[in-house]
Amino acid sequence: MTGAFAEADVALRGVTKSFGPVVAVDDLTLEIPRGIFLSLLGPSGCGKTTTLRLIAGFEQPSQGDIFIRGQRVNLVPAYRRDFSMVFQNFALFPHMTVANNVAFGLRMRRLPRDEREARVRETLALVHLAGFEDRYPRQLSGGQQQRVALARAIVVRPAVLLLDEPLGSLDRKLREEMQVELRQLQQEIGITTVFVTHDQEEALTLSDRVAIMNGGKIEQIATPRELYERPATDFVANFLGVSNIFDGRVAGRDGEDALITIGPIQVRVPWEAGLEMGGPIRVAVRPEKIRLGPHDEKEGLPARVRHVIYLGATTHFYLEGPEGQSLVVHVQNISPDTAPWTPGDEVSCHLEPKSVFVLRKG
Amino acid sequence: MEWVRCFTRNRWAWALVLPPLLFFLAFFVGPLLYLFFVSLHVESQTELYGSRLTLDNYLRVAGDPFYLLIIRRTLTAGLAVSGLSLLIGYPVALTMVRMPASRRSVFLMVLLFPLMVSNVIRAYGWIAILGRRGVVNNLLRDGGLIQAPLPLLYSVETVVVGLLTILLPYMIICLVNALLTVDRTLEEAAQALGAGPLRTFLHVTLPLSTPGIASGLLLVFLLTLSAYVTVQLLGGPQSKMLVGLVYDAVMTFIWPRAAALAFILLGISLGVTTLMLKGLRPQRVQGQG
Amino acid sequence: MRKESWALRMVDLLALLIILGPIAIVMLVSFSPSDFFAFPPRGLSLRWFREFFNLPSMRGAYLLSLEVALAASILATVLGTLASLFLARRRGAVVGVLNALFLSPLVFPTIIIGVALLLFFRRVGMPILPGLILAHVLIGTPYCIRSVLTSLQAFDVSLEEAGQSLGASPVRTFFLITLPLIRPGLLCGWLFAFIVSFGELNTALFLTGPGVTTLPIEIFAYLQFQGSQLVIAAASTLQICLIIVLVLTIERLVGLSSIVR
Repeated sequence: MTGAFAEADVALRGVTKSFGPVVAVDDLTLEIPRGIFLSLLGPSGCGKTTTLRLIAGFEQPSQGDIFIRGQRVNLVPAYRRDFSMVFQNFALFPHMTVANNVAFGLRMRRLPRDEREARVRETLALVHLAGFEDRYPRQLSGGQQQRVALARAIVVRPAVLLLDEPLGSLDRKLREEMQVELRQLQQEIGITTVFVTHDQEEALTLSDRVAIMNGGKIEQIATPRELYERPATDFVANFLGVSNIFDGRVAGRDGEDALITIGPIQVRVPWEAGLEMGGPIRVAVRPEKIRLGPHDEKEGLPARVRHVIYLGATTHFYLEGPEGQSLVVHVQNISPDTAPWTPGDEVSCHLEPKSVFVLRKG
Repeated sequence: MEWVRCFTRNRWAWALVLPPLLFFLAFFVGPLLYLFFVSLHVESQTELYGSRLTLDNYLRVAGDPFYLLIIRRTLTAGLAVSGLSLLIGYPVALTMVRMPASRRSVFLMVLLFPLMVSNVIRAYGWIAILGRRGVVNNLLRDGGLIQAPLPLLYSVETVVVGLLTILLPYMIICLVNALLTVDRTLEEAAQALGAGPLRTFLHVTLPLSTPGIASGLLLVFLLTLSAYVTVQLLGGPQSKMLVGLVYDAVMTFIWPRAAALAFILLGISLGVTTLMLKGLRPQRVQGQG
Repeated sequence: MRKESWALRMVDLLALLIILGPIAIVMLVSFSPSDFFAFPPRGLSLRWFREFFNLPSMRGAYLLSLEVALAASILATVLGTLASLFLARRRGAVVGVLNALFLSPLVFPTIIIGVALLLFFRRVGMPILPGLILAHVLIGTPYCIRSVLTSLQAFDVSLEEAGQSLGASPVRTFFLITLPLIRPGLLCGWLFAFIVSFGELNTALFLTGPGVTTLPIEIFAYLQFQGSQLVIAAASTLQICLIIVLVLTIERLVGLSSIVR
């Protein structure tokens, strides 16, 4: 992740947060440029919500600094930081109308009444809730409440928008609709956004960048594509989708590529510093990047089919490789006889060139 | 700079709690400590208390058979009221727990209402019933069953009955609260294992309601110790209890003696509390014992 | 099984009878036209109520009880709310101790509180009326704390965080967001403190004086020195009516879940 520090809307430097003996966030450094939609993704307990709350000011870092728009905000209390937040349970004020909810932040900023009302109307229209001004939260559906929460957060035009698993309580279809709306809105307004979720698909759908977190640290930050195609660590490779992992040896170098032997076959990966000739190396391949063919002595990795699961658009094959490793291959059912194999069959696996990636520990 | 932030955040919290804390220290803890302090001095004709320290005020009570009689009577009455309120209150609590929540709410209202009526009025109710010109005597006279009115008031028994009816709602509420926390499925599990209703009650429900029994007994007993007006009105001079002695001592304004009696009353309260909690061990059920 | 539930029903009835019976008798007696109670009642009369309002001592006591209850309940609500805010949000051993301290007047023998305060007020020269009010504040605060604390514990903290995220300082957050939502608990606590103060005896026994008497004390004095006069019944009925009105108000405003404890 690049970008000069001064351009970053949000920056964390060496931030650590401990709750007693538990370290929730561990020496985290993160910079988010203006206008970027960043997701914090990871299993529960990985520190993503804590990181969000540190930016918000609801938690204080045990160590390290937090900057918003270049200003160090460690000592600035939450209500004076330039951000707004959408909460998981929406946190709409039950005793206020929709209009008053949305206007709340503007009231705090002492906007005159006419301007307040105009902006509220404008923002409600933006989230497709025009005319709902006088309703109360309890009269609204989940999706509508969600939109009011969003309107309330963006009407104040903050530097940073923070969202804490805001779509978690919506049902699937609604969630997908809201994802699209949210993304469109964010791009229209251009606000720097930090989004916390444990749902991979959601993160990949919405984000410019995704930071995968584990045990209080960031395993990798990259675009969704980079994360999937070139996961930097074991954890990322296994967290996002499935990977087939092979232990191979570095056999040689050819220009920019390293030659890796895996059993009877040889594959290429981009050469990187630190690779030892003849040394062990761990590589992986995504299940959709393996092509299955009839058993061939000369080419491909031999394997035996164990299970077949038919899923309509794809068929998943579970195989056993030459050294007993478990392999997964996803085949698109382009035609009825694309993948006619059944359990017990011997096949050959052909790994797509350029699809193999190296795994680092972690 | 960490400590700066710690302090600023805590400053809010302490600003919140300081007014009530100071109030309680000034008008609760302070005066009690002062009272205890005074109880350890000799008496004085001109001042609130004399200057010499002594344990006489306490020792005098411990050695005086009159005081000991009163204390015994007070403890007996307290135990009688607590025990009876438990006996009568438990079935009522059981009934209330089995009711649907809306009905139960109504019943709770009905129970809470008398607690808000001043004790003097509730005691007066018994005077109106048991007095010489009260309901019972009038009915008996009109019915020709007696000539002269029966002296139904002014006995320890009357006091016990009066206190029982006044404090019963407290017991019921404590029991209902405890019984509500007993998981119904535990009772069902017992029945699935073959225990009939009585054995389920004895082996599952009753033991699990121990915290409620403990808090109910304690509350009723402590309130009995402190119930001056009821004892005065229904017991008369021949059924004096410890609380009456405290009042009389205070009215003489011999403060050291009055203070000592007050703390003896407090001591008995604490003693019985400790014994009851040790004996019943409600924390076993609450998961800490 | 049927026999068992029959027995249970009898006990229930007995309990209700002995709890409510005396109060019902008092109310009936207060409408009696004659000097004594006759059953069945030989007619209804408001004679004793008129008598009550004609007696300056009774009138005065009733008004004073109202004044004291009002002042004490308001102060108790303020102190109780402050304490509850602290107790609801903080953790630690200190909180446990303070919780016990603030709730202790509920189980502490109130007669001893009365004695201690009498001595203390004598020593510092506290005038009677303020002293009485302070005693009732002490006794009423635990009720307020219980009620407000229940409300606060059911309160969603993320609402306060939402307020702060939109720029409201902690103080404004409290007044604009928290307070409106815990108002039922506050009102309920206030009503309890009021009712308790109005009927309170054990501290008023010591802390009242010439010219400063509460209604319960006045009734008690009457009963002790002038024997049973039916004007007492009228006074009692008036207090009971006040209670009924207030209890129905609690029910209307708040419902009962917060009262059960």
